[in-house]
Amino acid sequence: MTGAGVPVPEHAVLAAAPAAGGRPSVTYRQAGDRCVLVEYGPPELDLRLNFHVLRMLSALGADPPPGLLDAAPGLRSVLLCFDPSRTARTALVDHLHTLHERQPDLSGVTLPSRRVTLPLAFDDTATREAVVRYARTIRPDASNTRGGNNIDYIAAQNGLPGRDALYEAILATEWWTAFTGFAPGLPFLFPLRGPTALSVPKYNPTRAWTPEGAVGIGGPCVAIYPAESPGSYQLFGRTLPVSDVFARNRVFGDDPFLLRAGDRVRFTLCGEEELLELRRQVLEDQYVYRIEDAPLALAAHVRGAVPGGTGHPDGSGRAWAGGEVP
Amino acid sequence: MNHGLRGDAHDEAPELEILVPGVQTTVQDHPGRTGLQARGFFPSGPVDGFAFRAANLLAGNDPRHAGLEITQGGFAARFRCHARAALCGAEGAAPTLGGEPVPLWQTFAVRPGDELVCEAAKGPGFRLYLAVSGGIDVPEVLGSRSVHTLAGIGGVDGRPVLRGDVLPLGRAAEAPLLRLPQSLRPAYHTHWELEVVRGPHGDPGFLTAEGWREFTSRTWRVDLNSDRLGVKLDAHALAWARPDGGVAGGHPSNVLDVSYPVGGVTVIGDVPTVLGPDGPTSGGYTVIATLAHACLWKLGQMRPGRDTVRFREISLAEADALAAHTEFALQRGRLERLEPAGPAGAAAPAAPV
Repeated sequence: MTGAGVPVPEHAVLAAAPAAGGRPSVTYRQAGDRCVLVEYGPPELDLRLNFHVLRMLSALGADPPPGLLDAAPGLRSVLLCFDPSRTARTALVDHLHTLHERQPDLSGVTLPSRRVTLPLAFDDTATREAVVRYARTIRPDASNTRGGNNIDYIAAQNGLPGRDALYEAILATEWWTAFTGFAPGLPFLFPLRGPTALSVPKYNPTRAWTPEGAVGIGGPCVAIYPAESPGSYQLFGRTLPVSDVFARNRVFGDDPFLLRAGDRVRFTLCGEEELLELRRQVLEDQYVYRIEDAPLALAAHVRGAVPGGTGHPDGSGRAWAGGEVP
Repeated sequence: MNHGLRGDAHDEAPELEILVPGVQTTVQDHPGRTGLQARGFFPSGPVDGFAFRAANLLAGNDPRHAGLEITQGGFAARFRCHARAALCGAEGAAPTLGGEPVPLWQTFAVRPGDELVCEAAKGPGFRLYLAVSGGIDVPEVLGSRSVHTLAGIGGVDGRPVLRGDVLPLGRAAEAPLLRLPQSLRPAYHTHWELEVVRGPHGDPGFLTAEGWREFTSRTWRVDLNSDRLGVKLDAHALAWARPDGGVAGGHPSNVLDVSYPVGGVTVIGDVPTVLGPDGPTSGGYTVIATLAHACLWKLGQMRPGRDTVRFREISLAEADALAAHTEFALQRGRLERLEPAGPAGAAAPAAPV
């Protein structure tokens, strides 16, 4: 152990560079002695930053620095974990920054992507059960659980006239998988195309139980729960399994998780009975998931067509609803 | 010839039968399920990697062999074979083998029918690690035998062990009886000091200098609701530099969703939580400090609802030096060799290194 007296810097920033050449600014932060957190651009909800994250991951995959153990994306960041016996922290940051500076303007880039279509049953029995159970055992007076569902709350929070308007907005949106994480196989989806500018506060406190396959929204982000788990997103329906380590359906044969960062998701309307039948077919390997390769040319998505800045992309100027149910 | 080699045709099946599983006993290996954080997996593996690795070394195993993490003692199991075993970790569990006391941090020999019994650990320390020669031979899932209870994979059917489980063991050659020298054993406390590196969100843009001083000088209580996912501390309003989290939320602890480092100190509202090996891999909260890799093991030994903790800021250079010290202590060559002894491995005196 070294003695006391080693100077400790007052900040956690290892290196930084301003935006240049169509690339966002970048900040390299120390995250303990085995990881570096790389953040791109200003702290704003801007999918262009996520596009940059995904292409940096792709560049890292093609040209990994020695000693890299893991690279995990966030919305506008990448966490890199490394083996200090195989690389120096400074060498890792240098390697990353070289890759960063090599990236051309986003508008000329095509990202690997797939279109995944999932049937969705709104206001189904399982998610209603989760809401009712929460109200009964955790917080009876929460405004988001009135009527035994979260749907009316989501609609009201977004100034929508009713449930149908909410359902239409969700179905008409193409959802972008910005990253997966939090729990194994959990996708975080943001509106890529379409009218949706939904956002809603999260549960407060957290819900203890969520059914597998539940679909919910927290802030502007939609998530699909890959397994029974706690959760804090407002639930609006249920879809097919998005994870199965036992690969009971062939779609999970090579990868136990359906969705990966860069996939686009479309929900199609489905009744609850039909959904339960499809879920049964998934487990018996009779159902074929609807997935098509469809690389995404970014040119159409980097000129104001995606949420930029801190307001709603609908241009209304109102803020995203962050935080939790008061 | 000797009577003790497992795998002899006349030997019992190499198995370990769980008689009393305790609060939570799980199969773990080290370093666990790595390289999958982008898919939402923290590594799992033992919360106290030091005691786990020491037990494996003492049992003559490779570092990757799986063992048991026994939370808080209150555990009993019956060996159905000859084997070498070692128990490391929490104090005050009065472990016995066939009624004879078993010392921690050294190898003991077991015979078919021997019962290992641990009482509830009085502490200091919270978790015990049992390694058996050959390791627990459950199937690997996604590259590891460690349980991930949320995903329901690894270990025994993706869950903690239950009474009546019979765990298959790997085959192993007879290994010598060893002991980790007293001078290399970690000290367990009721008031812990955790070495942290500032950041990733610890600079003055997030916390004021006053906020950081408070974080590193205050004595925090380890909350009763602490587990393998994380060690929660008591709520305390820190002095933030920002009025709110901007687009990410109304509280200054909010950030746009980001992947977390293992051992990261996230502040969720006013509650700091140190992320353990089964923790969430990402979330929307600042990580103001990160535990030095070399002191991650302490998370496994802090007693929920009882112990207290203080954070001590160190530099990256100091963190690297601490890591080197840990690796030094866990080299096979550091172990003391005991004279051949009875089944409980009664120690012959051995000089410290």
